[in-house]
Amino acid sequence: MPMYYFNLNDDDVVVDTDGTDLPNVGAARIHATGVARELTSKGGGILTQSWSGWTMSVRDEHGTELFSLTMSDFGDGPEQ
Amino acid sequence: MLFHHCASEELRRTVLVDLAGQAHRQNRLLAAMPPNTLALLEPDLREVSPEQGAVLLEPGDLIETIYFPLTGLISLMVIGKDGNFIETSTVGREGAVGLHSGLSRRRSFTRATAQIGGKFSTIRAARFEHIVNGSAAIRDVILRYTEVLWAETQQIAACNAMHGASARLCRWLLQSADRIGSNEVPLTQEFLAQMLGARRTTVTLLAQRMQAKGLIRYRRGRIVILDRKGLEACACECYHVMHDEKLPRALGVNL
Repeated sequence: MPMYYFNLNDDDVVVDTDGTDLPNVGAARIHATGVARELTSKGGGILTQSWSGWTMSVRDEHGTELFSLTMSDFGDGPEQ
Repeated sequence: MLFHHCASEELRRTVLVDLAGQAHRQNRLLAAMPPNTLALLEPDLREVSPEQGAVLLEPGDLIETIYFPLTGLISLMVIGKDGNFIETSTVGREGAVGLHSGLSRRRSFTRATAQIGGKFSTIRAARFEHIVNGSAAIRDVILRYTEVLWAETQQIAACNAMHGASARLCRWLLQSADRIGSNEVPLTQEFLAQMLGARRTTVTLLAQRMQAKGLIRYRRGRIVILDRKGLEACACECYHVMHDEKLPRALGVNL
């Protein structure tokens, strides 16, 4: 199975050093959505307080960006 | 000469017994027992060193052995129908697993896994129950510990519902470090993800950020806490509420 990498970008980059084995780009999209929900749910904690300007850039094993998500589209309520 | 031999032999035995007692007292509950009470248990206490990941109990298992960690960490987990699980409690040197079976034969409600391998003092449940029958002091420790665990479990239920992955991960690392008595927490991100009920990528990204901020250093399978105060600032309040010294005091329980 191909590896996919889920990096976060704001001014800075938080690199997904490990990557995840997934069958195809559709599965990568589902995984990305799940990770975005987990990170934004009930506050961004150590990552950010607002998510404004943050994106998740999903890349293949060659480093080519396949798609990106706007992190502020996720989350479920007021920040901590 | 013979006398000397006997005297030194006796001394050697005394020292050995004391050393064994000292080792058991690394566990808070065993340390909380009066010396003559601990002496009742000592002949039946056996030290074991389960490997990381060893399953000690499955839900529904009859509790045959009580585990008192001296080092290492046991995770209690609720298993979902789909096989997924989430951690509901950790037990290190501040506690024990299966302690209530000293009151009568009991079955485990959760899966118990040796999450961080270490040394555990153990005793057979049947033998423990027999000794507890004659010891109000041990029954008292069981009740006090059950109260503390009950409060902790309520806090964890609230924490899982109220707090995000970032705050819970910080809380978890601090609590685990306290309970194994080391700032080096030998756990993989994969395992941490399962504990938090999150994807591994989520934990990797959080750990990367924590490392960039100088709070931790991590490599595969090992996290070292570098800045405890900084990590505390990022953890939810549950870390302080459940702190092993503060929680009994808050409840008015002497442990």
